[in-house]
Amino acid sequence: MSFKVINPGFSSSIQDYGRIGYKEYGLNQAGPMDEIAYCEANYLLENNFNNAVIEMAFGGLEIKVEAEASISVTGADLDFEINNKKIPIWKKLQVFKGDILKWKKAVKGTYSYLAVKGGFQTNILFGSRSTNIRENIGENLKKNDILKFKSSKCLIPKSSKKIPDYEKKTLRIMPTYQFEKFTNHQKKIFFNQGYRISDLTNRTGCRLTGRPIILKKSKMISEGMSYGSVQIANDGYPIILMKDAPTIGGYPKIGTVFSLDLSFLSQKKPNEKIYFEPIDIKKAQSKRLIFNKHFKIHL
Amino acid sequence: MRKVISAGENSILIYFGKEIDSGLPAKIKKISEVLKKKFPNFVIETIPSYTTLHITYNLVFHKKKYNELLEEIKKIPENKTPIKSRLISIPVYYGFEVGLDLETVLKEKKITLDDFIKIHSSKEYLVYAVGFSPCFAFLGKIDKKIQKPRLKTPRVEISAGSVGIAEKQTAVYPVNSSGGWNIVGKTFLDMSLKDPLNISKFTIGDRVKFNPVDKKTFIQNGGKL
Repeated sequence: MSFKVINPGFSSSIQDYGRIGYKEYGLNQAGPMDEIAYCEANYLLENNFNNAVIEMAFGGLEIKVEAEASISVTGADLDFEINNKKIPIWKKLQVFKGDILKWKKAVKGTYSYLAVKGGFQTNILFGSRSTNIRENIGENLKKNDILKFKSSKCLIPKSSKKIPDYEKKTLRIMPTYQFEKFTNHQKKIFFNQGYRISDLTNRTGCRLTGRPIILKKSKMISEGMSYGSVQIANDGYPIILMKDAPTIGGYPKIGTVFSLDLSFLSQKKPNEKIYFEPIDIKKAQSKRLIFNKHFKIHL
Repeated sequence: MRKVISAGENSILIYFGKEIDSGLPAKIKKISEVLKKKFPNFVIETIPSYTTLHITYNLVFHKKKYNELLEEIKKIPENKTPIKSRLISIPVYYGFEVGLDLETVLKEKKITLDDFIKIHSSKEYLVYAVGFSPCFAFLGKIDKKIQKPRLKTPRVEISAGSVGIAEKQTAVYPVNSSGGWNIVGKTFLDMSLKDPLNISKFTIGDRVKFNPVDKKTFIQNGGKL
């Protein structure tokens, strides 16, 4: 049972929950940019949270269905069509042999997800099916790729009960790393402005522009970096570390963005404005635990 | 001194010292191994670096295990016996065609190419950290006579196998990438993940020695100018 790629679109790749256990070797987790949409896509199909899906950026993807399958589509609105007919997303759908699935263009947001019952059965490398272009692990989808999946039964229709509010502009950030070392004045600059997303943003990091934070030259020794940590680079602009970021680095970090807010961030386009607001670590932890429980994520 | 700070909703960073010290990486590595063994389901992964250990833990067991982990971090003894350390030899062609900054370095340091090769290749370097990219080993410390700060403007692309120096450190770029180190030579070894075994080519505490080779040997073994 398989799908065939007719047109790979701008940038489409296979992602599962991520690669875990290789950070000490310098290999980061990869995995979905929008964890909420990714998890919902698998959840709608009663898949395991780690089942591999297609993550596509900006659309252009076109797929031919070669055997009947249960699928779900979530995330950004990329003008999804089946056989040239517009179809609502955040839903489980049944597709049939010969159907053409198409994501025409980015209407709202950046990343969309296509999950199939049982997950795509691509190669497992270093414990994960996630593509990591930066490290040459796997590659983006290409024309004529055959994407295999396990046979799937018809299932009862299902729609998402709650769709994330992608209009959200405020990222909640925990005081971590060198937060205490930033002066009150520097923190004020950070929290009191709307930053704009730079067009140099990708799966590695989200770069922001705005009023820079002038840093005194200080000696920093490279250290391990968390997903979502916010470095202030030499030019004074923040870089939020995303899924394919390097594992260690030597810029001071003003905090770590709450993981689920990175889902909203990943859907923003260059030039959109975002703001930061503090969140207590305990509060972030309990919110994330509720999420993990709901989606049966055991880590 | 062991200071634990928060690094995110499911991660912490432990500081073991304030200065880069050749004795620290092996100790940190050992502590990382012990913690992973003692908390198999809680400590998911670690990133040892020069003076720190980053730990990602399983939030699901936070309530049960977090305080226990902190206690363990406090009391875990420093390893006195040296950890297993391998000596890795890397053939390098120190030629002007591949060592893009070699000429500048020689001029600035007022030394000959032979001097440079002798200084850079005679020392056994310690792997202080692995990161940035897989197989990118931060090696130190290089002789004062050849220390040089990073380039003001990093290069957009440095070809795989290039050997760089920056301040007290030296390293090999395993894949094509951007970077700001001064390039002084190149190896013909493939250190990319095209060979999956390369993932563990270097570990903290290993020693690395550069072995100078001539242009002919470099090219015969697949080296690209």
